[in-house]
Amino acid sequence: MLFRRIYQFLIVYCIGVVGLLTVKYAAGLSNYVIPGLAVIFDTAHRMLGSYFFDVLNTLSVTVLGQMISIFMAFFVGIIGRKSSWAGSFIKVMAYNIQAYPIVALAPIIFILLGDGFLSRLLIASMICYFPLLLSVLGIMASPIKDIEHFYIATGRMRWQLEVKIRAFENLNKLTTVISGSATLAMAGTIVAEFIAADQGIGYSIRIALYQSDLACILVALFSIGIIISVYQGILETVGEQMKTKWFAPKGEYLL
Amino acid sequence: MNKKFKTNTINGTGLIVLCMMCFALTPAFAGDTLNYRLKWLFNTSVAGDIIADTGGFFEKAGLDVSVNEGGTGKNAIKELELGYANFGVASADQVIRALEKGADVVVLAQLFQVNPMQWIYRSDLLEIKGLSDLRGRHIGVTFGGNDETIMTTLLAKAGLTLKDIRISSVRFDFTPFLKKEVEVWPVYRNSQGVILKERLAAEGEQVKFLNPADYGVSFVANSVVTSGTMMEKHPDTVNAFMAALLSAWEFAVDPANEAQVLAQIKKKDKGTRDDIRQKQLEATRPLIKPDKGIKIGIIDTGAWQQTESIMVKEKQIVAPVDVTSRLVGPKK
Repeated sequence: MLFRRIYQFLIVYCIGVVGLLTVKYAAGLSNYVIPGLAVIFDTAHRMLGSYFFDVLNTLSVTVLGQMISIFMAFFVGIIGRKSSWAGSFIKVMAYNIQAYPIVALAPIIFILLGDGFLSRLLIASMICYFPLLLSVLGIMASPIKDIEHFYIATGRMRWQLEVKIRAFENLNKLTTVISGSATLAMAGTIVAEFIAADQGIGYSIRIALYQSDLACILVALFSIGIIISVYQGILETVGEQMKTKWFAPKGEYLL
Repeated sequence: MNKKFKTNTINGTGLIVLCMMCFALTPAFAGDTLNYRLKWLFNTSVAGDIIADTGGFFEKAGLDVSVNEGGTGKNAIKELELGYANFGVASADQVIRALEKGADVVVLAQLFQVNPMQWIYRSDLLEIKGLSDLRGRHIGVTFGGNDETIMTTLLAKAGLTLKDIRISSVRFDFTPFLKKEVEVWPVYRNSQGVILKERLAAEGEQVKFLNPADYGVSFVANSVVTSGTMMEKHPDTVNAFMAALLSAWEFAVDPANEAQVLAQIKKKDKGTRDDIRQKQLEATRPLIKPDKGIKIGIIDTGAWQQTESIMVKEKQIVAPVDVTSRLVGPKK
């Protein structure tokens, strides 16, 4: 899973670079518009090390932001799963708020909280949170009638059991959504850094953009792609292991 | 299955590359319309460019010109090369960086004789009489921006290093300066500088500006550029364009035409208050035409050479690019 993610990214990245180089040589563009391979390698040699640590810095905020989002999404999703007034209210509110572009709110967050760690964390969580919430709400609000009927009929249904049944039956979906939300959290952190932070890979990309240095941006994208692929691969592997553990019959029952 | 996948992958890749090539090779202009890409948004800083368009200067010269706003991520030199623009405005560091990487760009005129990038500070809280007064101060710089290079040069002139001051990264809003967290803040003297000065005056605070040129650092700002090919193949169009543009700038900075100029700017820049716009125009005049005897657009070769040597010294470029050989407009 992990290696598949990495080589998939490498294929996409190489296709992108080959596409750019094709345009460069077909249109006879200078290294200022699209850098040649030699410039890209030279930039990678100079910058890859520092960009690697910048991406790790960004990733640390991403992971924390994603964890907060997952916790919040499950908390609100579980409360909002009921077809009661409160449940409907939470659902409508979530759908409405997620329609706002979070990026537009970012400047206000930076003015209020400054350009430090908290602002980056908040923006990353917000960008990641709403899509997660909608998926969790959708899953938690859909009854698994075949199974739940039994517990309801026998009077053994509790809210914890209901949540477990729905999560278990939709484990594939949940794993995919959580793994996918890593990209959103990463994008959110990078956007935050790009707007106003003073650390992380988004900040480094902003500096490269000031200097119109596409080679630096390509190297930064490479670092981001590799690290996010590894992170997503790890999330997927953990998800797979959880599924295997949950679905596998317990040893003592087989004996 | 595997064969089908391979065929699909090859077809898909080919299609993507083809689309990218079509996108890159299609020029954005059609017919005889000339595209002129500014460096920043429409505001008083580009008064002459606005007047050239709306005041009919281009039209009188028989040119059909589309004056386009610039902004973050817009780069006139790249657009020249891609064929999306015929003329553009770029700062000297952009020109020098582009030349280093083999771009075919020439400088037709230097619009700002004095760089509007300056530093604002509260004159009632600190006094900067010489560069050594910067020691121990909390100064804002945009990392990777022009102001970082200029500030490093100023500090070097004073025998200071970054360790002798406190540096804060500048972002889009002035909050750190307004909250007095940062004492010296970089601004464009004729746009943000005017707004901040007004805002602080309303609070009873007085400000002054630190102008690097006063300390012998002349880092060239906005200049009009085109491609070497355009210059070679269409010299008449280039000459007509420049004559119209510079006449428009002469008109724009003439105090006698203030009301007309402000009315034209207002049509493009609706978000700024009338009184601020008027003060911004006042602040722009001496940057474009510091002296009556100075012809607008004249290229200060010495300043370009200094800009290049600063960039070499600050390792912004690896080696000199002989920028003076690309200055084709009238020189000082």
